[in-house]
Amino acid sequence: MNPKEHLVIVAGVRTPFCRAGTALAGLDAVELGRAAVTGLLIKTGLDPALVDETIFGCVSQPANAPNIARIIALRSGIPKERPAMTVQRNCASGLQAMTTAYEKLAAGQGEVFMVGGVESMSQMPFQFRHEAALKFAMLSRARGVFSKARALSAFRLQDLMPVITLKLGLTDPVAALNMGETAELLAREYRVSRDAQDAFAVRSHLLALGSRAAITEEITPVYTTGRDVKAITEDNGLRADSSLEKLARLQPIFDPLMGSVTAGNSSQVSDGAVALLVCSERRAESLGLEPLGRLVSQAWTGCDPARMGLGPVTAISEALRAASWKLDDADIVEINEAFAAQVLAVLKCLKDPASARRAGLDAPLGELDHARLNPQGGAIALGHPVGASGARLVLTALLQLRRNKQQRAVVSLCIGGGQGGAVCLETN
Amino acid sequence: MNSAMNAIILDPTENPEEDSFVPWSPRKHGPHNAHRCFTKEIDADGICWLTFDTPDAAANVWNFDTLDELDCHIEDLHRDSSVRALVIRSAKERIYIAGADLHAVQTLAPIRMKELLVLGQDVFTHLETLRIPKVAAIHGACVGGGFEMALACDWRVATDSEFTRIGLPETQLGLIPGWGGSTRLPRMIGLPRALDLIVRGKTMKAAEAKRAGLIHEVTAREHLDSLAKKFALRATSARHHHFHFTQLWPLPQVIRFRAKAMLFAKFPWMKSTIAAPAVAVDVVTRGASRSFEKSLALEQEAITTLAGSTMTRSFIGTFLRKESASHKLPAALANVTARPVVNAAVIGAGVMGSGIAYALATKGVRVILTDATPELVARGLSRIEGFLADGINRRALSRKEAREVRDRIAPAHAKVPLQRMDLVIEAVIEEMEAKKNLLADLASRTGPQTILATNTSALSVAEMAAAVPHPEQVLGLHFFNPAHVMPLVEIVTHARTSPETTATAMRFVQGIGKTPVLVQDSPGFVVNRILMPYLIGAVSLAETMHDPWRIDDTMTEFGMPMGPLRLLDEIGFDVAQHVAATMSRAFPGRLPKTHLLATLTAAGMLGRKNGQGFYLHNKAVASPNPALLKHLTPAFREPERAAIVTRLTGLMRDEAQRCLDEKVASSAADIELAMLLGSGFPPFKKLFD
Repeated sequence: MNPKEHLVIVAGVRTPFCRAGTALAGLDAVELGRAAVTGLLIKTGLDPALVDETIFGCVSQPANAPNIARIIALRSGIPKERPAMTVQRNCASGLQAMTTAYEKLAAGQGEVFMVGGVESMSQMPFQFRHEAALKFAMLSRARGVFSKARALSAFRLQDLMPVITLKLGLTDPVAALNMGETAELLAREYRVSRDAQDAFAVRSHLLALGSRAAITEEITPVYTTGRDVKAITEDNGLRADSSLEKLARLQPIFDPLMGSVTAGNSSQVSDGAVALLVCSERRAESLGLEPLGRLVSQAWTGCDPARMGLGPVTAISEALRAASWKLDDADIVEINEAFAAQVLAVLKCLKDPASARRAGLDAPLGELDHARLNPQGGAIALGHPVGASGARLVLTALLQLRRNKQQRAVVSLCIGGGQGGAVCLETN
Repeated sequence: MNSAMNAIILDPTENPEEDSFVPWSPRKHGPHNAHRCFTKEIDADGICWLTFDTPDAAANVWNFDTLDELDCHIEDLHRDSSVRALVIRSAKERIYIAGADLHAVQTLAPIRMKELLVLGQDVFTHLETLRIPKVAAIHGACVGGGFEMALACDWRVATDSEFTRIGLPETQLGLIPGWGGSTRLPRMIGLPRALDLIVRGKTMKAAEAKRAGLIHEVTAREHLDSLAKKFALRATSARHHHFHFTQLWPLPQVIRFRAKAMLFAKFPWMKSTIAAPAVAVDVVTRGASRSFEKSLALEQEAITTLAGSTMTRSFIGTFLRKESASHKLPAALANVTARPVVNAAVIGAGVMGSGIAYALATKGVRVILTDATPELVARGLSRIEGFLADGINRRALSRKEAREVRDRIAPAHAKVPLQRMDLVIEAVIEEMEAKKNLLADLASRTGPQTILATNTSALSVAEMAAAVPHPEQVLGLHFFNPAHVMPLVEIVTHARTSPETTATAMRFVQGIGKTPVLVQDSPGFVVNRILMPYLIGAVSLAETMHDPWRIDDTMTEFGMPMGPLRLLDEIGFDVAQHVAATMSRAFPGRLPKTHLLATLTAAGMLGRKNGQGFYLHNKAVASPNPALLKHLTPAFREPERAAIVTRLTGLMRDEAQRCLDEKVASSAADIELAMLLGSGFPPFKKLFD
């Protein structure tokens, strides 16, 4: 890799992550993305005309905002002459946006990119099922009272039951399993106990609470619209009163009889957006920008869709190999906390030879001590706006490296549909 | 003209020499350059296209020459049976027909004025009586006499361009529509709606004009000609004088009564003066219940009275001066290059800051709006959301435009880099130290091209400028509250302000649709300095009265838009005292002595902001505050109305004269304009002797 073609991350901000249906519920994904991009442009003072392309990840694009990246870019004041594209790799869409920028840079298609991810899980719509939609079409085509009445009579009560797209999006169509059910599978196969999961969830909350000041550094406020504008400045998923006893009382939601995955030890359904300004190392120098860090390597791997939670295992292994690092070289490892069971299963696969083999590794990579893993908590406490999380992990990892004067970080996510994504990041 | 069709039909105009019939043409006013402004084409379908294009001018206007020329064309068409229809269009980019030539109206002798009036009415009636479909294809401003001509056509179609504005704004100039507008419009859209339009003198965008029934169809500019042609090819019933049911007895009488009552309630000074809006009510309602010709005669009579009056002259004079101040730079700056302002920042999201940010954003400027904390920013944004909601309710803004305005305002609460800004306006608390520190901090964060402006209303700009490395980039931009409504911005220069900075600021203010007036860096500048003695004078007068609210009644009857006590309520007693203190430090002994404001503040009255002032503001309508009375020490005799007016306006006149003597503004005209736009001082009353 020619060192002049490194992709560096210059700056980043994110909106607060708020539980779906709460503070940010009134803003659509475009507004969230705009708040993040505008906040970043203002914070850096960068001329928007310098942005060569905007690339945003979004899992469930609003029906009224196809290619949401373009709409966010235009509404944030990035000139209309600069193109924009939206990328989708499920839960890693925000990370994909950055790696796509790197590929564009390597291909000589631009040097400065506004990347990030956005998701408004509050505003994922309810739909009519297809059969109902057909009946509506029949009704609209019907002419005359008689045929209208006949078209109407075709409706059944169930036709009016909405399809919840949020639920649909979180279900793997190939394995026919809900994401939570894939986590249950991992908990069974890798013997992750309910207690271990709950302990991990408590850890996430406590770490996030302990790092509140540091986390605030990532955030740009979001201002709601309407007569009474409110400034939303903080994540609202954190629970100061999180404890093992409280978590133990929760019912498993995906397997009520024997399961162990609860709402408390899963990531939260949230709204939020992240924006990162990335560019070539050369451009950063010529613009006089001080980068947060650079992208050293990236890896995307596939695994069994029913065990999608294990995606990070092979992805981390590949990314480390490409960077010629060992797991111990990483000062910080951010693994997205989709489910406590899933992260713990990944840790087991990284350490235990038998599990590593089952997950597709020839040899285990080593033990990942807890001090290096998600030191400021993760999605269980902060929330997981699916399209945005990948970019948040990059931002939080780099800011931690800078604050702790450390060098290397690995960021990884499991991806619905049976994939893993990982990147290695390095500061100077 | 000599198409194949014309060759077959015997056309008397083809060869005028052989034509024994000489048309009666009474209106040949002097040696006019015939056939200069209109071009005429007749297409294969027999449609005559008259294109109005005054050479070497941005606007088409009506004067003796252009009216004569149009009349000649109409006369031709009256005698040309080969023409099936007439379309009148304009070749100007922004203006269809701007109405009467205002310079002419202002300078014409009364007798010539009357001639022009009769000529216009006759030409448009002549046009109306053409027995072919007549279409006005409108692109650009079609106002006043321009729209009166369009009213004489059968069909009016317009483009959806932002330049297209339609209406009868004559009352804004102290006139009324006198070329048939006051007669034709009520017969077309009904008396109440026509009266509302004429009295308020409002101009509308095309879509709104269509809803109001002023025009028939709106289309894209590219389609205008084809749409006009479509209308031209329709057969039309040559129904010249419409009749609207609202003309039936007793509706006009009732409407006149109510309209006048409303007008006088809002503008008490109209009771004692001949004012255009009140005259318009009379003419339109009386005309509606009379014949078409009688109504035209009423228009003539009214215009003759109005046009000669000093009031109308001052209205037109002020209008022309305002236009010039809003579009031109003073001679000294004519050759200075002004830089465009694309990116701006407003520091302080309070009442002024958020108002300024909104005013900028609505005119396409991208604004960073900052304040110390997200909560303060949110409060500023709430105010802006209020303006937006209001704009949408009034249909002044579409939802799309509101969203664009919102997108142009980027909130920030930290010290963000401002290197790219062309202009930074500070609107923080009125304290010299705070402002100096802020400017020094801003100077360290801004680029070499950034102009630093302070929105101070009384503090010394030069002193602030001394706090930064480049004082030549510093000036004052004094917006008035509410900033998105008030049309005046005082541009405060100090000794070291560079001409580029001044020119850029003036162009910027003009660009956001406001009128800049250059003033010197002296306490209170022009408007506040002249207003302050008047306001404090009113307070000291109130102290001696049984019924202090009479002062407000008197001054609104004089012509001020709001009484001085009511205005003090709006300003707030604390702010007023602060400004008064600054002023009396600078000009000792100038302000009338009174302790009433201090007493009232001590008694917990602050004006509108806490609901308690000279008035109570708890309900929708402000009512006199009886708690005030116990603080007064009434004299034995209440002052006469005339005495109140003389005393209070005298205070303003004295101060205005001093401003002029001290060259705070460059001319008396500038001071008058600033007072009109900044305080609503009536343009028909003299500020200088």
